[in-house]
Amino acid sequence: MPKRLRLTDEGKTYAERGLPELNLVKVLKQGSIPMSQARELVDSLDIALQWGKKRNWIRIDGGVIRLISSPDVVPEQEALIKVLKGETIDEEVAKILMQRNLIEVESSFVEELKHLEGQTITKLTPELMSTGLWRGVKLRPYDVRILGKKVHPSKRQPFDYFLSELRQKLVELGFVEMKGPTIETEFWNYDALYQPQGHPARDWLSTFYLKGTGLGDLPSISKNVKRAHEHGVSGSTGWNYRWDPMRARRLMPRAQGTALSARTLAKGPLIPGKYFAIARCYRPDVIDAFHGIEFVQVEGIVVDSSLTFRNLLGILEMFAREIAKAKEIKFIPDYYPFTEPSVQMSAKHPAMGWIEFGGAGIFREELTKPLNVDVPVIAWGLGVDRLAMFKLGIEDIRDLFSRDLDWMRTKTVV
Amino acid sequence: MPSLEVSIRDMERLIGRTLTPDDLRRLVAVAKCDVDSVMGDSVKLEAKDTNRPDLWSSEGIAREIRFRLKKSGFLSYRASKTKVEVIVDKSVKNVRPFTACAVVTNLHLDEAALSQMIQLQEKVASNYGGGRRDIAIGVYDLDKMRPPINYTTVDPDGIRFVPLDFEEELTPREILEKHPKGKEFGHLLAGATRYPIFIDSAGEVMSIPPIINSNFSGKVTGNTQNAFIECSGFHFDRLSVALNVISTALTERGAKIGAVRVRYPDRVIVTPDFRPGRANVDLAHFRRISDLALSSSKACALLRMSGYKVVHRKKDRVEVLYPAYRHDIMHERDLMEDMLISYGYDKIRPQPLKLPTVGISSRIEKFSSLLCELMIGLGFQQVMSYTLTNRANLFDKMKLKDEPVIELENPVSSSWSVFRNWMLPCIIDFLSSNAHVDYPQNVFEIGDVIVPDKTKETRTIDRRKLACAKASAEVGYQDMASVLDAFLGSLGCQYELKAGSHPSFIEGRVADIVLDGAKLGVLGEISPEILEAWSIEIPVSAFEIDVTSLCDVLPLENLD
Repeated sequence: MPKRLRLTDEGKTYAERGLPELNLVKVLKQGSIPMSQARELVDSLDIALQWGKKRNWIRIDGGVIRLISSPDVVPEQEALIKVLKGETIDEEVAKILMQRNLIEVESSFVEELKHLEGQTITKLTPELMSTGLWRGVKLRPYDVRILGKKVHPSKRQPFDYFLSELRQKLVELGFVEMKGPTIETEFWNYDALYQPQGHPARDWLSTFYLKGTGLGDLPSISKNVKRAHEHGVSGSTGWNYRWDPMRARRLMPRAQGTALSARTLAKGPLIPGKYFAIARCYRPDVIDAFHGIEFVQVEGIVVDSSLTFRNLLGILEMFAREIAKAKEIKFIPDYYPFTEPSVQMSAKHPAMGWIEFGGAGIFREELTKPLNVDVPVIAWGLGVDRLAMFKLGIEDIRDLFSRDLDWMRTKTVV
Repeated sequence: MPSLEVSIRDMERLIGRTLTPDDLRRLVAVAKCDVDSVMGDSVKLEAKDTNRPDLWSSEGIAREIRFRLKKSGFLSYRASKTKVEVIVDKSVKNVRPFTACAVVTNLHLDEAALSQMIQLQEKVASNYGGGRRDIAIGVYDLDKMRPPINYTTVDPDGIRFVPLDFEEELTPREILEKHPKGKEFGHLLAGATRYPIFIDSAGEVMSIPPIINSNFSGKVTGNTQNAFIECSGFHFDRLSVALNVISTALTERGAKIGAVRVRYPDRVIVTPDFRPGRANVDLAHFRRISDLALSSSKACALLRMSGYKVVHRKKDRVEVLYPAYRHDIMHERDLMEDMLISYGYDKIRPQPLKLPTVGISSRIEKFSSLLCELMIGLGFQQVMSYTLTNRANLFDKMKLKDEPVIELENPVSSSWSVFRNWMLPCIIDFLSSNAHVDYPQNVFEIGDVIVPDKTKETRTIDRRKLACAKASAEVGYQDMASVLDAFLGSLGCQYELKAGSHPSFIEGRVADIVLDGAKLGVLGEISPEILEAWSIEIPVSAFEIDVTSLCDVLPLENLD
């Protein structure tokens, strides 16, 4: 059985602050000092003098301490640190340190453990390991079915995780993420999307409005938008009414992610360019298991001179395959105020069956021209709520923003 | 999106063939309708095109389907001459200036026809007519009226008549107070000193638009053979569209339409105006956008199949007429969509995109996801809340004075009436909802808060915040300080904690988190008064930091 050494209190002090004789040498390196001052400068001066002389490092001349030689390595000092760390040290050095009463053998500790020899014990301890006494004991078998204290994992919020996976997927498919303000002007939310100011979606029942925020700013392209609404652009008749800039300046919480697409187009998109947004949107609605007033829209645009209606279907097909894992899809006519032609896609999810999964269309020229975009722009949106609810195993849309900690703790991650 | 109810048998009759539920589902798609549910003979539909009121009844849907089945079908309409006149008094100018009217003869209204007529009238007035504000529609039994008809105004207390489905006579003012329709639509006459009224030459009141018809001539039943229709409102063009939609729908069942002379003080207008519209389409443009290699004659066939009449073609330039019930055509794209629908979306092969683009997620999202990972590593469960909340949660229950926040003018519920301007209340609210769940609870949320800022384009700014809390019997200020230290340490932040003061935290146990001389957030032990307000019976320590500023000050090149 190997001896286990440990530092005495004095040994511990020297391990941390240095041996007194070394500290004395350090001071003397600055110059000789009189005995009368030495006591102030060096702790444990008597020990320092005793061992300094013994090592032939110092000499006392007429009450002045002088340095004769200074040591390169001091094995005792290194050994103290090793013992502190629990490492083994040279036998000879150990003897000296033992003499100086700086280290001792942990005999009591070994004795304490010795009585365990041959017994069956419950807990394997670090002491049993370091002394090697574990060789002499038996460890009691456990009932392997019994658990310890309940452990709760910390995880991503399930819906946020779903959305971040979706974000990753869209990035992999070559889409650039768009961000924009939660509070929008009606201009970006509706007017720039060629939704007329009298459109039913813009009324009190379908759009949230704000109290006391004043009016927002209009960009300079708003004059193009005004013309598109009033008289039409690129061969269109327009909506034929008087466009009110004050109405366009009104502020509202974003009601559709398409507002971000309008901003991207007005800023001058990359061509070819593919963009997406995962946007919180807000609309008045009944609040129940199927409807919320705050929800997430996933949508975006593709911009290129080569785009066609068949590409529009191609994009939706790609989303169906990559995101809903659908093998079968159906396209049916649809209507959005800002796209023409417009398509709705149903996808056959392997487990959920047919779901309305997405919609898309080619932005009307009355929308793109005023924003100074002269190439076709495909706008697409994905209905991810139902897919997310299915993946999360929930039936109430409000649980996407679950307040149930127990559910999140116990919810499986696959 | 208007939701409609139609009868399968009625649709079969109108289309001229039998329909299985599957046929129906497939065919109504050409009229941009979705089948919501089928109950016996009754089908609930959702009409998706909010700009085509002509597709909001079984007549219009059947007409659209018939075109596709027959491969053509331009309909031109004619209103025969009648002696019916409407005299418009100049006083209506201030309340409801315009009307457009028609006579309908040879009506045969069975149950389905009657319910479709009423449904169409309601949907057009509510979804296309701004909830009767822009367009109100009245249908009357012509045989109970004596023309000419006066469209004029009346003192709210100046006349009495029995409103529809009532037995007693009421004044217009009393109707607004007592009749269900008066209560529903009375606000449309708010402030008017005189109300608009249709009244015939015998002095019988026909209606007070946009509120209610009379129970005498304003009641249409299965026995009604001849009818009078009026649309009233503010934009003559829109009234004209509404009138055309309703009267042409009735012709689908064999009714004949008669013209009405509407005498305004300064001119006479004969309504309805059934002149078709004109539009042009460039077939080369169609081929380019559709990516379908169709000959010009095939493309013209698609136009005919969509209800257009090709009147002129020179190479790829085609001029068409479209029927009077349509008003949605603004641009050649509108025609192109109809052509594609006629071609059949299911017959068009998708073409995969082949555009060389590089995907990038936004910096703030990348950074947030990094922070998310750190917090989970530190043992915190992520949660996610609505950004909408209420003043009580944000301020009262956090012992804060009211602060300027973004507030909804028309909230659905007072619980979700303002946008959060800080995050911690959402976390405390979460803990409060889980007071019965195993402790310790360590939770965090990363998300946006919205703060007023007059200098910004939208007078607001979104800030991303991170809030986290530890709730447990043992937890104290220092435990959370250690979490913060590990968190900011991992980001390489040299931050300082300075004794702070914040009403939500225990005095002397709250610190401002300072980074580069600017306040990054707050850290502390939540005051027991606040925990009590939220019914939390265990100590909670928490911090909230501004992720947007972190993202701005940290060298995040590695994120890009």
